[in-house]
Amino acid sequence: MQWSHNMRFFQSYAMKKQLWIIVVIIIAAILPTIIGAFWINVAVEILIMGLFAVSFNMIFGYMGQLSFGHAAFYGVGAYTVGLLMAKLSIPFSLSLIAAMLSAGAFALIIGYFCIRLTGIYFAILTLSFGQLIYYIVFEWYSFTGGDNGLQGIAAPHLLSSVTAYYYFTLVIVIAALIVMWYISRSPFGYTMRAIRDNANRTRFLGINVKRYMLINFVIAGAFAGLAGGLWGPFNQSISPDLLNWTESGIPVFMTVIGGSASFLGPMVGSIIYTFLNAFVTGFTQYWPLIIGIVIMLIILFSPGGIQGLIDKWYKHSDSSDENIEL
Amino acid sequence: METGGRNSGSKSEREEITGESMDFSLIFSQFLSGLSRGAMLFLIASGLSLIFGVMNILNFAHAALWLVGAYLAYTFWNLLQPYGFSLWVSIPLAAVALSAIGWAIERVLIRRIYNRTLSEQLVFTFAMILVIDNLIKIIWGVQDKAIVRPSIVASPVFIFGAPLDSYFIFVIFTGAVVAIGLWWFLSKTKYGHIIKAAVFSREMVSALGIPVPKIYTWVFVLGIFLAGLAGGVQAPIGSITLGMDNAVIIQAFIVVVIGGFGSLLGTLVGSIIVGEIYAFSILFWPDGAMILIFVVAAIMLIIRPWGLFGTPMRT
Repeated sequence: MQWSHNMRFFQSYAMKKQLWIIVVIIIAAILPTIIGAFWINVAVEILIMGLFAVSFNMIFGYMGQLSFGHAAFYGVGAYTVGLLMAKLSIPFSLSLIAAMLSAGAFALIIGYFCIRLTGIYFAILTLSFGQLIYYIVFEWYSFTGGDNGLQGIAAPHLLSSVTAYYYFTLVIVIAALIVMWYISRSPFGYTMRAIRDNANRTRFLGINVKRYMLINFVIAGAFAGLAGGLWGPFNQSISPDLLNWTESGIPVFMTVIGGSASFLGPMVGSIIYTFLNAFVTGFTQYWPLIIGIVIMLIILFSPGGIQGLIDKWYKHSDSSDENIEL
Repeated sequence: METGGRNSGSKSEREEITGESMDFSLIFSQFLSGLSRGAMLFLIASGLSLIFGVMNILNFAHAALWLVGAYLAYTFWNLLQPYGFSLWVSIPLAAVALSAIGWAIERVLIRRIYNRTLSEQLVFTFAMILVIDNLIKIIWGVQDKAIVRPSIVASPVFIFGAPLDSYFIFVIFTGAVVAIGLWWFLSKTKYGHIIKAAVFSREMVSALGIPVPKIYTWVFVLGIFLAGLAGGVQAPIGSITLGMDNAVIIQAFIVVVIGGFGSLLGTLVGSIIVGEIYAFSILFWPDGAMILIFVVAAIMLIIRPWGLFGTPMRT
């Protein structure tokens, strides 16, 4: 009785969630016809930062390590697109692929060292590498433009309107999310969960823990690079601050707000964070104060984030350790 | 102190000396400037390391509080400006005032996250930075603040013919006094022994009937006192600007990483190493100072994550 009751609840819950996703995609598709240019810009930002945050959560949620240097890969992606388009006039689509590849390559080198450490050492080593790349970009005037950054990164003519750029970003981000979703549901994704929960036991099963962690790190870095690549032509300029540690904090915040235990949690976090940011800065300059207090309250009173709260309401139980929900 | 006499000598005499020992005087002045930078980093990082060692909390907001200390010193200096001793009083006043703030923060906020995961603690103290930095902006405004130094530390001194900011001598002196004071406190007093025992095993300290929550509060207050002192000492060095804390907190982390978590000696050595790398790379590769520091930090984390003097007990 009890079991079937729970099962029924679970099924209806899962179905409701799928229904919600379809509704959200439909809303996202018709959104530009409803809202003005300002909010379409906000929506593009939500999508890009959401992709960045979901890629961060590949390391944080699925591998159990806190990366404080994820902005490095985001920034490398942005600079790859910026430099290729501005200096070599390479088409946007090819530049985006190059952004994923270069960010992935950086993640391969940095990850090679980082995955040897865990916990606080992992957090500080990722932070150190992130700052290392930040200062290289910051100081290398002849190549990256130093602290002036790069200006005049224009999207191709077809995407020059904000609505067109919105649809382009929507398609890319949804495609990237589907790929990451399948990775997280694959045997590889479950191996990552096993490593997160008990690395030693996973090792005893004959799994090369370090190699799995490195592959995961590279995937996360590559998708962060894709997000960064989308940012440059949208903002039409890039600056080294995209790689600074304060930028690395943004996906962390989004993930905390949305909840790291669900795949789309960071995207939900991005919606709340970016929307609040756009809304609050409209009438006050005290945005950091407000978001800081919000984050502190969430950690104190709802560590699972918004998704955690929703899950609790639906399931009326706390046994949500499966981490397989959308 | 012979150099003090040289200082008052004629200009040509000084130039002669400079010409003779150009390399040495340059190196020596860079060494002293690195030492003063190291002393400042030590004042910040020692509190950070102490708090982490005892409470296992990496306080991301440490440098934000340090900046509050600098602004507090400015305010006290401003109020006491009619008096000649205003700067020398406002520095300890800033440290005491910031300790009170630290006490309140521990009682209201930090206390609630002791039993949380490492990531929750890091994100929580990270969020505190946003709040503190924004409060600074609200209270003190966006304009830079500058303290007019008293004449005794206003002009440079010449040591072996090389100019050095005379205030740096005070910074180095303060760093040395704090280092010795902390060493004395930790190794010669009863409370120091309790703190050292708590770094090693909190459970054991608790089992001996010592109230650990109380120890936590006072260690946090001590750490924040040091941050306030560091902020006060920093205040007259340049102008006080918003966002100054952003680069400093990462450097303080690097110091603690190089020296080893929870080790006072390690923090001292790490501070001097980072300060000297910075000072000397200015000579050879002016743009690369920060790059070099992070290269050293990354190498240290890769080959010896627990640092020079730390012990590999917590990961």
